[in-house]
Amino acid sequence: MNSFILADANKCIGCRTCEVACAVAHRADGDVTALSAINFTPRIHVVKGATISTATQCRQCEDAPCANVCPNNAIRRAHGFVQVQQERCIGCKTCVVACPYGAMEVVTYPVVRNTGAAVNVLRERAQANKCDLCYDRPEGPACIEVCPTAALRCVDRDDLAMLSADKRRRTALDNGAGFCV
Amino acid sequence: MEKVTTVCPYCGAGCKMKLVVDNGRIIRAEAAAGATNQSELCLKGYYGWDFLNDTKLLTPRLREPMIRREKGGPFETVSWDEAIKYVAKRFAEIKAKHGARAIMTTGSSRGTGNETNYVMQKFTRAVLGSNNVDCCARVCHGPSVAGLRETLGNGAMSVSIEDLEQAKCLLIFGYNSADSHPIVARRIVKAKQNGAKIIVCDPRRIEAARIADQHLQLNNGCNVVMVNAFIYTLLEENLYNKDYVAKYTEGFDSLWNVVKDYAPEKVEAITGVSAQEVRQAMRTYASSPSSVICWGMGVTQFGQGTETVKSLSTLALLSGNLGRHGAGVAPVRGQNNVQGGCDMGVLPDLFPGYQKVTDAAVRAKFAKAWGIDPESMDKEVGVRITDVPHLALEGKVKAYYIMGEDPLQTEADLSLVRKGIDALDLLVVQDIFMTKTAEAADVILPATSWGEHGGVFTCADRGFQRFEKAIEPKYNVKRDWDIISLIATEMGYPMHYDNNQQIWDELRELCPLYYGVTYEKMGEFGHIQWPCPTLDHPGTPLLYTDNKFATPSGKGQLFATHWRKPAELTDEEFPLVLCTVREVGHYSCRSMTGNCAALKTLADEPGLVNINPEDALALGIKDQQLVWVASRRGKVISRANVSDRINRGAVYMTYQWWIGACNELTQDNLDPTSKTPETKYCAANVSAIEDQTWAENYAAQVYSEMKARLRHAVEDARPAAVTA
Repeated sequence: MNSFILADANKCIGCRTCEVACAVAHRADGDVTALSAINFTPRIHVVKGATISTATQCRQCEDAPCANVCPNNAIRRAHGFVQVQQERCIGCKTCVVACPYGAMEVVTYPVVRNTGAAVNVLRERAQANKCDLCYDRPEGPACIEVCPTAALRCVDRDDLAMLSADKRRRTALDNGAGFCV
Repeated sequence: MEKVTTVCPYCGAGCKMKLVVDNGRIIRAEAAAGATNQSELCLKGYYGWDFLNDTKLLTPRLREPMIRREKGGPFETVSWDEAIKYVAKRFAEIKAKHGARAIMTTGSSRGTGNETNYVMQKFTRAVLGSNNVDCCARVCHGPSVAGLRETLGNGAMSVSIEDLEQAKCLLIFGYNSADSHPIVARRIVKAKQNGAKIIVCDPRRIEAARIADQHLQLNNGCNVVMVNAFIYTLLEENLYNKDYVAKYTEGFDSLWNVVKDYAPEKVEAITGVSAQEVRQAMRTYASSPSSVICWGMGVTQFGQGTETVKSLSTLALLSGNLGRHGAGVAPVRGQNNVQGGCDMGVLPDLFPGYQKVTDAAVRAKFAKAWGIDPESMDKEVGVRITDVPHLALEGKVKAYYIMGEDPLQTEADLSLVRKGIDALDLLVVQDIFMTKTAEAADVILPATSWGEHGGVFTCADRGFQRFEKAIEPKYNVKRDWDIISLIATEMGYPMHYDNNQQIWDELRELCPLYYGVTYEKMGEFGHIQWPCPTLDHPGTPLLYTDNKFATPSGKGQLFATHWRKPAELTDEEFPLVLCTVREVGHYSCRSMTGNCAALKTLADEPGLVNINPEDALALGIKDQQLVWVASRRGKVISRANVSDRINRGAVYMTYQWWIGACNELTQDNLDPTSKTPETKYCAANVSAIEDQTWAENYAAQVYSEMKARLRHAVEDARPAAVTA
């Protein structure tokens, strides 16, 4: 089962430290001083409503709609999460439409491409952007590391099982009296 | 690669962090295990250091001393020697002609640290010869200092930041921790997880309100009514601690006479909060085994700020919630060293260590240490910064030496402040950036920044912590206290310090409150809270543990007063209340955070005006559209942020935007005691802009013009020989 990052809305204070950490972690140079409005493409987003502040990101679905609809088979399960193979992405945005969580975004960035006639031109390259659990980062997910209220965590199969067991216990023990007939 | 332990230069939470330095350049910041932050940082701590690279994203660093020979003329770069001589001569002339009280100075609540503040007040008192020194505590927690000194004796948090998570009840009044101090907000979240009851009094649905057990969403401008209803409830329902009140407080008999008119049922229409909610809140607060009251600018930036502080401390006294872990009062100071500014006596009424300037014995002690004649010292309380514009216009203040503050951005009613500054004969600005205030200066003295020097800060809970130098300054700049010492020496008072510690040790000797706080004791991670009177004293995490208060009688002073309406009320033309607030990614005047890539990426000009969806709909305004916001004093462009966290009838702006500058709109009604402006309440209107394309272009254009102007002011300055 895939792991995924989950935010606890009771702890989130909406500060967006996670967004910056995500953007920095996914820069090849890891340089926070190079961030700008144009290249700021975090894969985690803080959302605030009247009664909720939380961070949203990919759930790493087991039967991932993004992967199912991708016409170029660019999205597949690997390393225990749903991974986009960027070299196959054609920027068609079908995955963006398919994702029920709004966790997939297609972003563009400039690349220098050689036309073959010894001329370098600036082109836009698209990439499907989603949480990759910072799988190639030794310290683990950057967002979890920086969250000042520890609102973010990575949930795996065992955590989910524990979460469910806790809820079952609470239901049974809190309401147990009501079940005695 | 080396790691330098320092303290974050932003809010008052006092977070310890490490700057990772490679080849003389900072490459990242890491959280460190400080007492208040426990290895956590917020986005400003992690990503708020690259202003040190002189990014010019907002405004450039000041690189050379500069003089503007005539008003409106260009800056001319000069040598340090010439700049110091020029300033000293002008100060001496103005003092000779108009008297010592015609010169005003400021300390700085920001990155320079306690040592500089001590030296600045020494310079003002011993060399200039007046008590005209103040700092921006005036415009933020001035009422907390003034109010708590009267009722409890110490103008600071009685508990530690750590204590907040031990409280069983937090009463959070006009304090938005998530935006002001994320690392303190973390303690509130933890308190909630530990089962504490959270009561939030705020007109907006702030983050803490979301997790609160009760959110009393009171109307803007009626804090005193609300607190009086609280006191009424405590008395009428017999919820107060009779034993505690009898033993440790004074003034009980006069309370009822005031609050009897404020029955929760009777004031529902004013506060907008049901009586049942008010009564429930007080039952929770008073019955909890330990309660802390937290407050912020939502209490202090009103015409009745000081009185509200005194009334809030009355709640703590009535319920006996002081002097224990998880029980006390917590005015959480805003800027990283605003507590330190007050500690170091950059206040017109107090020497360092909260010793009164009106006390002859205290004056004699300082005069002796400073080698001056006590009779030459100013015996009166000095001028406060919020009085300066008025006094300048009256011709009573002629020179203003502003260090590390930006009043042309951060003070209320900027058109008034501009007029006051224009009326001065001499404006000396000592800063790290070309701020709006620096741009108006006659002399610019460029200083080293946080990161380029070390020292001691005091965080919000009275904790002294050392911060260290990480990199060498790039330009022809000097340490703040070195600049002041050179001016003092030039004016005939030899002043010289070799390092921070020398200054620190001089002031420790003069301040019984801090005598035991040595550099060694603070060390790398020490957080030593005053009072710390002896060398073997560990510091004082909790004040009033013996229920003895630092008041003349030793008893806590109970207080209640009648409500006055805010000074400027809404009307048909200006139907909305404008309240100024904070947002998490930027700090103070934004000269530092506005020059940080990540923080600028998250939020940039012209800034937001937060408005309720119904108000926006009625005005034909859509979310994220540009709008005009106007008051009787001006009009600025801003971006509408339509949010149902905002109450109807009020709009909220942050004061850090240089284009969408809300202080163009605010008014300068001052709290009569602390002289803090009522920036939480003025009348305004918001209007839609039909042509959004024009508006976007206009906002972008004025922003880029302003940045170019500030850049040119620094880059085009030349020595006189070249320009001639």
